[in-house]
Order: sequence, then C-alpha cells, then structure tokens
Amino acid sequence: MSRVAIVGGGLFRPDRIRYENAEEGVAMAYRMLLEDTPELDPRDIEFVQASYFSDHLNQQLCMAWIVQDYIGQHRKGGYRVEAGGSTPLDAIINAYFLIKSGYFDLILIVGWEWMSEVDTATTNEFIAAASDTDWDFTVGGYYNGYYAALETRHMQLYGETIEDLGKIAVRCRNNAVHNPFSQWRKEHGTSYVTLDDYFKDRIVAWPYRRWDCALISEGACCLLMASEKVAKKYSDTPMWIKGIGLGTDSMRPGDRLVDWPYHGVYKADEKIYPENFEKPITPYPEMANFGFAREAAKKAYVQANINDPVKELDLAELFAPYTGVELCLYEDLMFCPRGEGKTIIREGIVERDGELPCQLSGGLLAFAHPVGATSLLQTLFLYWELTGAIPKKFGNKTLQVSNAEKALITGHGGTGCQGGVIIFSR
Amino acid sequence: MEKIIEDKASKIRGKWEEYARKGNWTVKGYEILKALSGSGRIEDSVEKEFMVVYRPHGVLYRHSYGLVSKFFRGLIDGKLYGTKCPRCETVYCPPRAHCWNPSCKVAETEWVELPLTGKVHTFSIMLFSADAFLDKLPFVLAYVQIDGAHTALPMQLETSPTEVWIGQKVEIKFRENRTGSLMDIYAIPIPGQTPPPYSCLHKDPRNIEDLRQNLNKTYEFLEKRFGIKREDIEKRWKK
Repeated sequence: MSRVAIVGGGLFRPDRIRYENAEEGVAMAYRMLLEDTPELDPRDIEFVQASYFSDHLNQQLCMAWIVQDYIGQHRKGGYRVEAGGSTPLDAIINAYFLIKSGYFDLILIVGWEWMSEVDTATTNEFIAAASDTDWDFTVGGYYNGYYAALETRHMQLYGETIEDLGKIAVRCRNNAVHNPFSQWRKEHGTSYVTLDDYFKDRIVAWPYRRWDCALISEGACCLLMASEKVAKKYSDTPMWIKGIGLGTDSMRPGDRLVDWPYHGVYKADEKIYPENFEKPITPYPEMANFGFAREAAKKAYVQANINDPVKELDLAELFAPYTGVELCLYEDLMFCPRGEGKTIIREGIVERDGELPCQLSGGLLAFAHPVGATSLLQTLFLYWELTGAIPKKFGNKTLQVSNAEKALITGHGGTGCQGGVIIFSR
Repeated sequence: MEKIIEDKASKIRGKWEEYARKGNWTVKGYEILKALSGSGRIEDSVEKEFMVVYRPHGVLYRHSYGLVSKFFRGLIDGKLYGTKCPRCETVYCPPRAHCWNPSCKVAETEWVELPLTGKVHTFSIMLFSADAFLDKLPFVLAYVQIDGAHTALPMQLETSPTEVWIGQKVEIKFRENRTGSLMDIYAIPIPGQTPPPYSCLHKDPRNIEDLRQNLNKTYEFLEKRFGIKREDIEKRWKK
C-alpha cells in the first residue's frame, strides 16, 4: 500500500489576538505553503480537510465552508473533523486514512482557531464545555482545575516536585525565544527565564502557576499531504508517516478509578504503584496517567518499528497544555517506566542538547495553542526540522536538530479523553 | 405528552428568556483600531487598520438529566445516590444508568443510597477561576470517592487551602438553597485529622509557604473586586 507524506505547509503567526479573520489567516498560511511549494497547482488538491474546535467561540457554524471557498478550494470534497484538543491531530490521521485507502492522492489540511472574540473567562468556560457539563464543569475547576488535580495525584504517587514542573515551564519558554513565530517571543522578547522567575509567577490552580498552563491563541496552519505516487512532485524531502495510533479514555477523569476497558491490560504499570496507597480497581491509568497515549504509542511504535523511543527518535512535539501532562506523557509514551517521568527531567534528556529534545518549538506553553491548528503547527515545525529548514525559516539555527530523521507527535483532547500518536520519518 | 410534577422553573423562566433574547446577535457598537498584520515572523509584521464590532448572544437551555435524574432529585431532597451494576457490582457515583464494564454488555444499573462520607482521591487548589466562581475563591476542587462507590465525584471542598491532602476523610454537606446541580453539595474535612507525612503538598514546607504567599494575592484581589474580607472567607472554613 502507498505510503503517505507531509510535503509542505504554511502558517499564519499565532498571537493572543489577531485582527485578520479566520479565513484570511488560513489564506495567508496557505499562501506561505504555495510560495514554499512552487510545484503546487491549487487545482491539483483533491480534498480539503478542515480542522477547528469550537463553534461558539465565533458565533459561526460551518466555518469550514467559509474557509474552503475563501481560498478557492470549493467544488471538490471537504469536511471538518472535531475532537477538542485532538482536532488537528485527528485531521492529519483522517487525511492519512483517506490517502492510504487509495481514494485521494493530494489533500490540503486547513486548521485554525480564533479564541479571543469573547473575554478570557468566557473562553475558558467555552473550552470547559468540552468537559462533562452536568458534572465536572458544574463545580468550577475547569481545565486548569481538572488537570491540576490529575497532576496532584501523579505527584503524590510518583514524587515529582514543583521544581520538576518549573523546569518544563522554563525549557519551553527558553526554546520559544528562538522561534520567531512564537507567542512567548512576541510577548516576552528574546531573553531567557530561570526557575526563580517561574517561582515568582502566580499560582492559579495548585500545583499549577500561569506559566504551567497553555496559551490562548489565534492562528492558522496548512499542511499538504500526499500519496507516495505524487509526493516527490511537491517535495524533494517528504516527511513520511511511519506509524499512527489512536486511543481514548473516559470523559470524566473521576471515572478512571474503575476504568473497566483498561482493567488488566497494562499489568506491569498496574504493579508500579506505591505500597502505602490503596489501589483503585484499575491502577493504570487511573487519574495519574494518560491511557489514550499508551494505547496510541503502542500501535504507532509497532508500525514504525520503534523499540526504544528515546534512542531511536530524534525529537518529539507533545500535546502538553500543562507541564505535568508533559511529564506524565514521558511515561505513557514509554520514554521511561511509569513513575520515572521526573528522572527524564532531572537527567536533561528532553533539553535542547539532550537525547530526545521535546517541545523545541516552545509547545503549547510558549509557541501557541490555537486549538484547531496546534498539532498542525507542531507538525510543520517537525517538517522543517526533518528537512533541515529551521535556519532558513527561523533566521537562526539554534533549534535545528542536526540530521534529524525520526520524530514523534502526540495530540489529545479533554483530560486525555481522545488522542493519538504519529511517527514521522525523513 | 410530558406532565410537570414539580415546577421550580416558570417563575424564573420569563426573566432568563428575556435575558437570552436581549443579545440576539445584533451589532451594539464598534471600534476602529490599528494592529499588527501578516502571517510571517514577528519582525516582518506590519500595522493595519481593523474594525471590530460588539455582538451579544444569550441562550437559555432546557436540559434533561435523563435516566440519572434521580441523583439530582436526591440532591434537592438531601440524599446522595449512586448506581450499582447487578452483574459486576461496580458502584458508580457519578451514577450511570448503564454499566460500562464490557463484560456486562451495558446492563441496566440499580439505584443505591450512599453515605454522606468519603475520601479525597485527588484535588487542586483554585486561586483563580472563571467568572461564575470568582467570588467563591479560594476553593479546593476535590475528586471525592464516596464510601461504598468505586468512582470519584468532583466537588468543592470547604477548608483552608493549606489543609487538604489525598486520603483526607470528608463529610458531604448540602447547601441551603439547592437548584438541582452538583453545586448543591460540598465537602468538609472530618475534624481531628492532620496532614500525613506523605502528603505531596505538606512534605516540602516551601510548598505551603509558596501557597500562602499566593493566597495573599488572591485575598487582595477578592477585597478589591468584591469587597470580600479575608476574615469572612476564613470564617467559612471554621463553621
């Protein structure tokens, strides 16, 4: 069966507020793709995969139709996928399936989110409407609260410290200052920050400070995906999809104490549990880890023939809207055994010069998090990494991993309710 | 046809329907402004003029709690219910009308009344939140495993934010004015407990100091925004 590749992309620089409309932002990202991919005739595109999360952020249903006709891509087929934070990753995976099936050879993915048309508190409420509104939503924690509670549980069971979280927050920011498209650089400038700065930042939902939390962004991104048959026409250096995996978990994190579909599936992880704590019926993932990520990674690694992710991968872009999520994902993505996420931090494995740099782009904390575009932006970043284009695109080579061949991306929505993993290779 | 048994809505409905209609998506005002434009790097962006309009939109939803309505009815009556699967005996609170254990093939569950006690499975300490909850700050969001249930129910735990830990035993209380939502209940710690040495919040004294300093900022904010005094907040936890 045909292989599938990313053969190009473009972005519309994300920021807290952008005054261009979503369709104009997408058009400008699309123009960057066209400029970088001179062989691309817009008429060659067979299908447009739209990716955006929220309808009520913008008082507009079926925004995908506006976007598709604005860039002159109507007449041909197109539809949207939506799954909260998992939306853009699912868009890539859906396009992969469509090409893999042999139905299409060339797909344009358009992703965006415009999140500042309502005030910040309302934005948070609208996003929190992706949690169970009869239950979790009602008691007012919203995502800061839910994720903070998950991290408290993990911290209690496995002993990472606030300082470990701080190191993640600091690293993402100090990477982002070298990314001229990053929101952090726009807001903060190019100076580095330290752990002391982190501790001066406000706590919003213990154990999390503002710096532990994702940005709110407006921005857009386009990716061009192609079958093996046509890939080389558009790119001398396609980025191939070597493996994909999908996974889900319960909507309400509190239900994961008796997470029957996970029962007995990850026996080794169920055993890595402190002795002085009463085990819930399903000790893995319970409220400490991300089961969807393990499910997805397990499948993606088999397809991509990855046995030791830390050694075999050159870099990774994780969907980590909170620092603790990044730490837990190291475990669920099998960078280390359960409970050893803190060791990955302390040994500097994910630092810029470490064995497996993570969030070189700055990630959701410091690059940007326009939900429907987030994983597309991270994928475009990986495309530039794997094709050696970072120095040209960024005007500096600090973030370029030399000879990068294999990369991982993961995305998810909710509190790890749905998500996936993709392995890319040069 | 439906038949209304108890009506606690029609008195408020007119008012909220009017509020919901008020917005009606029409433009109420505008701004002309200058802002950075362009898709590329920060340094390549240029200033352009934009027009921004203000367009309100209110909504009133009529929402059924479905087959777990009994749980919320129970809150009104001062009772806490869960559901139990007759096949695998899992007790759900939050309740499910059907068991999710794949072995039970979506079996219908049975209602069980639960005790008003439980323990904190995990928590976060909210020093900032969305509009609707600002005047309740600071509060603890706790996932409480009700005694006899296998899942955890989220609720606010009314206690000094520096005195919460995983495993803490709590009592479930009912608020005076109940509307049939999860906010009708809250938890308070069962008296006489002290933080255990393993508590991730307490084992490093710097965590408590850090939290206290940040709490002070929240108290300052509450006084400035709502005129709420710190002493009154602390009184809430001593009741």
